[in-house]
Amino acid sequence: MREKGTEGQRDRGIERSGSGAGCELLRSRLQDYVTRELEPESRRLFDAHLVECGECQHELALMTAVVSTLDHQPVLDPQPGFSEKVMRSLPRQRVFVFSPWWSLALAPLLAGAVWLFRTPLERGIAGLLGRYVPVSVTLPALTMQSAGIAAAAVVGLGLLVTAGGAVFCWRAYLRD
Amino acid sequence: METASEDVLVSRSARGDEQAFGVLVERYKGMLYSMSRRLMKDPGRAEDAAQESFIKAWAALPGFKGESKFSSWLYRICYNTCISELRKRKPEVELDEAMGVPVEGPVQEFRNRDIQATIQEEVSKLPDDYRAALTLYHFNGLSYEEIAKLTHKPMGTIKAHIHRARAVLKTRLLERVGWDNLKEVMWQ
Repeated sequence: MREKGTEGQRDRGIERSGSGAGCELLRSRLQDYVTRELEPESRRLFDAHLVECGECQHELALMTAVVSTLDHQPVLDPQPGFSEKVMRSLPRQRVFVFSPWWSLALAPLLAGAVWLFRTPLERGIAGLLGRYVPVSVTLPALTMQSAGIAAAAVVGLGLLVTAGGAVFCWRAYLRD
Repeated sequence: METASEDVLVSRSARGDEQAFGVLVERYKGMLYSMSRRLMKDPGRAEDAAQESFIKAWAALPGFKGESKFSSWLYRICYNTCISELRKRKPEVELDEAMGVPVEGPVQEFRNRDIQATIQEEVSKLPDDYRAALTLYHFNGLSYEEIAKLTHKPMGTIKAHIHRARAVLKTRLLERVGWDNLKEVMWQ
């Protein structure tokens, strides 16, 4: 940050001096004028001087061309395939990340678990039905019909758990 | 994913989500490559430096606390990578030395786009420190303070580098193009 006192002294110098000394002072602040970093008071003095000084107008035009060109440099693109090269070079990180793909992995896992434990699951479901369904139905030991009902219930439960897992993964993924 | 906000992408990348980091690479590859190209000059080395910067960023992302903007953090990595490469390469050219190179007289025919090319060419001849300060200020849009912090140099030095570099460019532009040509192009 420039000190205000110094700025004021400089400004008074510009005002009092003849065109030669004024030009010199102004040109030392020319870049700040172009990049709009000059204080309003100094800017007013600069503007007033510019009206009558052709040489400073010339300097200003040149510096404006330089600054404007530097400000508008084009963005250059690397060779095609740059991003793929970067991604291939990344060292693998062992960090767990929630992703929707995890939910897809749940389905076969669940199906495998259901298949492995199908007999106790069927028996358990049949037992639960017998205990809590308020209709006095005497379930036969294990008919084809009851086995079918139990299997459907297991599949339904499996689908429910898979859908729940998928929703959980998606929500965790979207929340992050 | 492509439309996700930068904060989300940075947070996911920090936890190892390559897909999210891929989007950040796509978003910043132009800026990082342009920056390293302007600092390194050689296109091949510039691409290597940009690639290395992304790899370093990926490795350092779990430690990124978001105290600065992600772009500023990425520019710092790229700047450090380029500067360390440049230091390995050659002795530094002084500004006066760069100024001493003779130029051919003003050209006869001149067009507006040639100002851009002339200035770019002259920027590439500047000493590394000057070129870096100029690139970070004008191309990356960083403030004097941010550049000083990034380069570990006093703000006054940065400002002096930028001012001197612009003054050199102005002189060279005038020498190479000639006032009459410039006047025609600028005020046509």
